[in-house]
Amino acid sequence: MKLDRRNFMKTSAMAGVAASLPVLNTAFFSSDAFAAQNKPITFLSAENLTGNWDPTAHTALSQIIFEGFVFGYLTRAPMRPDNPDEIVFELATSMKLLDEHTLEFKLRKGVKFHNGEPFTAHDVKATFEYASGPDRPAQWYPGQCKVEVIDDHTAHVKTKEFGYPASLFWFLSAFLPIMSAKDVADGKSLTERPNGTGAFSFVKQDGNTTVLEANKNFFAGAPKVPGVNFSFVGDATTRMLSLLSGESDIIERLEAEQVETIKSNSKFKLNEAVSVENKYLWFRCSKPPFNDWRMRRAVSHAIDRDVLLDVLGVSGTASNAWISPVKFGYVDTPNYPKYDPALCQKFLAEAGFPGGKGLPKLEYITSVGFYPKTKEYGEIITAMLEEQGFNIEFSAMEVAAWGDRLYDRPGGGPGHMIDCGWATGSPEPDLVLRTHFHSSSKRITGIVDPEIDAVLDKERNALDPAERKRIIQEEVMPMLAEKVPSLSLFTSVFIHAMRKELDGMLIYPNGMLDATSATNS
Amino acid sequence: MDIKVKNMVQPSMDGMDLSVSPAKRMWILAWNSAAFKFGFFIFGALMLTALVYPEFSSVDPTKMNYRARLLPPIFVGDWTSAHPLGTDQLGRDLLLRCLVGLRYSVLIGVTTVVLMFILGCGLGLVSGYKGGVIDTIIMRLTDAQLSIPMIILAIAVLGVSRPTVPAIIIVLGMAGWPLYARVARSVTMSERQREYIRGERVLGASDWRILFLFIAPAVLPPIAFVAILDVARMMIFESILGFLGLGVQPPTPTFGNIIADGRKYLINAWWVATMPGIFLLVTLTSLNLMGSAFEKARNQVLKGEH
Amino acid sequence: MFILGFLTRRILQGFIVLFLVTFAIFTLLRVVPGDPARLIVGGMAPDNVVAQKAEELGLNDPIPVQFITYLGQLVQGDMGNSFLRPKSGAIVGASEYDDPTRGNRAQVLDLILERLPLTLQLAGVSIVFCLLIAFPLGVAGGLRPGSWMDRLAFFAGSLFVSMPNFWLGIVLAMLISVKMGLLPSIGYKGFSYTILPAFVLAIELAPFVIRTLTVSIAQVMQEEFITIAPIRGLTPFRIVFAHAIRNASIPLLNLFGIQLGTLLGGVLVVEYIFDYPGLGLLTINSVLQRDFPLIQGIAIFISGIFVFINIIVDLAATAIDPRLEY
Repeated sequence: MKLDRRNFMKTSAMAGVAASLPVLNTAFFSSDAFAAQNKPITFLSAENLTGNWDPTAHTALSQIIFEGFVFGYLTRAPMRPDNPDEIVFELATSMKLLDEHTLEFKLRKGVKFHNGEPFTAHDVKATFEYASGPDRPAQWYPGQCKVEVIDDHTAHVKTKEFGYPASLFWFLSAFLPIMSAKDVADGKSLTERPNGTGAFSFVKQDGNTTVLEANKNFFAGAPKVPGVNFSFVGDATTRMLSLLSGESDIIERLEAEQVETIKSNSKFKLNEAVSVENKYLWFRCSKPPFNDWRMRRAVSHAIDRDVLLDVLGVSGTASNAWISPVKFGYVDTPNYPKYDPALCQKFLAEAGFPGGKGLPKLEYITSVGFYPKTKEYGEIITAMLEEQGFNIEFSAMEVAAWGDRLYDRPGGGPGHMIDCGWATGSPEPDLVLRTHFHSSSKRITGIVDPEIDAVLDKERNALDPAERKRIIQEEVMPMLAEKVPSLSLFTSVFIHAMRKELDGMLIYPNGMLDATSATNS
Repeated sequence: MDIKVKNMVQPSMDGMDLSVSPAKRMWILAWNSAAFKFGFFIFGALMLTALVYPEFSSVDPTKMNYRARLLPPIFVGDWTSAHPLGTDQLGRDLLLRCLVGLRYSVLIGVTTVVLMFILGCGLGLVSGYKGGVIDTIIMRLTDAQLSIPMIILAIAVLGVSRPTVPAIIIVLGMAGWPLYARVARSVTMSERQREYIRGERVLGASDWRILFLFIAPAVLPPIAFVAILDVARMMIFESILGFLGLGVQPPTPTFGNIIADGRKYLINAWWVATMPGIFLLVTLTSLNLMGSAFEKARNQVLKGEH
Repeated sequence: MFILGFLTRRILQGFIVLFLVTFAIFTLLRVVPGDPARLIVGGMAPDNVVAQKAEELGLNDPIPVQFITYLGQLVQGDMGNSFLRPKSGAIVGASEYDDPTRGNRAQVLDLILERLPLTLQLAGVSIVFCLLIAFPLGVAGGLRPGSWMDRLAFFAGSLFVSMPNFWLGIVLAMLISVKMGLLPSIGYKGFSYTILPAFVLAIELAPFVIRTLTVSIAQVMQEEFITIAPIRGLTPFRIVFAHAIRNASIPLLNLFGIQLGTLLGGVLVVEYIFDYPGLGLLTINSVLQRDFPLIQGIAIFISGIFVFINIIVDLAATAIDPRLEY
């Protein structure tokens, strides 16, 4: 065979056509001119799903949001700043503390899982006992527990054996998706297919899109929209363009400038809600120089948080505690570290580094691409610290590299300071406080401080919720303000933008969405 | 010197003093073309501004002004604004950022291209001239390097250490040299067949002499274009690395990270990502003008010889 | 006969190249920080679980041993399983913990083949666009050096080359999809979603084609055989098409073989910007999540394509100009 130029041109052109043929489809230039009454809602998530449908196997916020569509919860917590402690009943119809170690749930009758199995107290038992196991990675439960099935629609959660008050489940009940006892026993089906009692059921995974359809048998009545497409799109600008060009209906995690764009466009609307997420500057407390609390205080007083908020605009709001204002126990901590260069210098001098002299280069790590404006305010924090004489090496990393470096390890985590947020879909404060500051956990800071441990134990073991709240507000927070194992920078405001035609979406402060009564024309 | 040269070459170029070597004549011809002067002037002016202006400006390019974020350029908004090109997302003066960015970007672009050029052309020349086994080995190495996606190389090298300017130059250079090797080789192969090379060989010239005195100059012009375009491409690759979070770390400004960071604001504040782009365009056009003047000069000189 | 010998030799060499690439990529990815075992089991898993996983994956063996194992599987067409993606192909975060009850991991090769057609479509359309843009400009510029057409080609090249693809992508999506509503572009629901991303890619590639065409046509036009062509009675049209373009096509072909890398780099960014579900988006996501088997698989797969295409390029170049024996 001899190839001449003409043949070559011809064959290569053919190859080009052939390559593109298999994917040509009839949707060529199609438009959605014949829009149905109610279209499925396309939601763009800023974070990816984990691909393992077991709700106890991850801490990804995106998947928690996803579970909100598919799974049922005993209760739901609207978590509004004016009434953070409010609880609304869903699969449970009542909740009662029988004694210190027993919490009783009465359950709704006639509820069915997506696979047709009826929902009973056995499912609650299976869920709680499985998910509270010490080997479950998510670790949302305060400790192990046992559940006693009184009858098909009454369950008693018992904690006596494990030595903590059952009242801790009061708020957690709003955050724990209920799985089917059969799936839990099987294990495999739990991970391969989400099966809950929620308003939408799982159909299939299509590339990066998870397709859900309306659950006709939903106990509160079938949703009005035929389904939900849950799609991961990593880039903020792309999400924005997608919404603006009508490819999607609702997007999350908008930044201030994008909010401006939406506001100036009458075809779209916004939802802003103070979230459960605080953003923190975590110190590596188990190695020098931040094993010295005076150094941590020096940094805390060098940062003018007002400026950060100014740069964040609408996507952040001021808060002065280590938990969000929508959580149980929030307080405007009176001695919260304020911007005060003089105090910063005083602590620096006391720690043996007057004016920052003699300090090694400190690495400050942040991520780019997931949280809004991390690089922007990171640069500002760097500039502020340098103004006080610190020698800072700022590293803005892509998310995976940052994730590699996030957690504590023996001898202290990488770098000296790291930026990260923490969001949990329950008013329960220990999901933050105990996780991060108790020596049994060492999650990011690696702090070991017997005094902090003591107040955290005291708070957890308090029986009366009012007393517990008082201990958190009057003892835990002030102690954290003294020792600052991390500095909470601000509370995130979750901003969703959606098409005007999308109505009736209920958005929770952790980003969970309720589309039960939504319409989308 | 200028006047003398002018007298010597104008007006009839082909018939000029043949005692001057071809390479030198090429330089002289190029230097005398309007396009080259124009390009040289723009490039020189830009670089001079970039080197001088930030030093004498009262404002620090890394100085943030939180109250003055995303101010528009004066020709869009307020003519009395102190920031001619506006400010970026942290209220830094965009003109200053662009000028300092220009220094770093030109540094990265030029150094990378020089690295690729030396490595690639060297291997390509040898490969094309020697042929046989050496050619095969070098070309397969080239293929191998060519087929490793840059992004993989980037995470491997830049993931190990904090991305610094030298690290980025190495990554880009490693990813780019095969192109030069291939072009240099193909030119060498057709060049070595020419009569004058054969003649030289018959006359007993050594391989190295032929390679460097006769073939290397012929390789230069076709690669010069690629090289000039590559300076631009390297600046842009650098910005893609920034886009992926693997770029030069703040506070060092480069065109790349100004554009990459400004991309988020494109809808509301187009100038942040666009102004460095315009600087880039002007810089590249000036480089291109010089490059194409060279090409023309080469053609004229070659024509005169045949 | 010549072609056959050539092919055998080049294909054999191609395999050697692939071997080199595989080894290089394999080693590179093991140098990257980020403990794969830690990644799989998640940041919060206890250390003993990490150690156990590492043992299970054979990560404690010396790199050459691991490489030979991998090579053995590769030869059988097995690129291994994704660390993080389940069979359904969904993206997976690196923060969660693996456990034995978890669903099966997707085959790397399946994931690649699933995404490949869309990327080929994108690349094919963009090459067509690129030629449509570059040919008139480049040929015109090369025929009349110094004319306004030459200048136009020159400035178009400068303009195109200095626009970062993500900048252009966002601007075009903003103008054409959002403001004017002419073409959809974000996501993929049909062929029309390919047009804008392909155009952005074409703009990125065009300057190289324009320059190569201009330069080589201008050069060829000065060669003796062209200047005497009119004397032989050939029309200008035939001169250009029979000789000039034929001769310009060799550098152009070489360029294409080489610019595949640019095309790939462009594909990555453009697919990410337009949320176009092809190989590029898969690559970016796997890189961002450090899904090593997937990155490795994609890199080797792409290398294979490179090697293959470069063989074709050389073959075609030889066919056009037999002086270039390979």
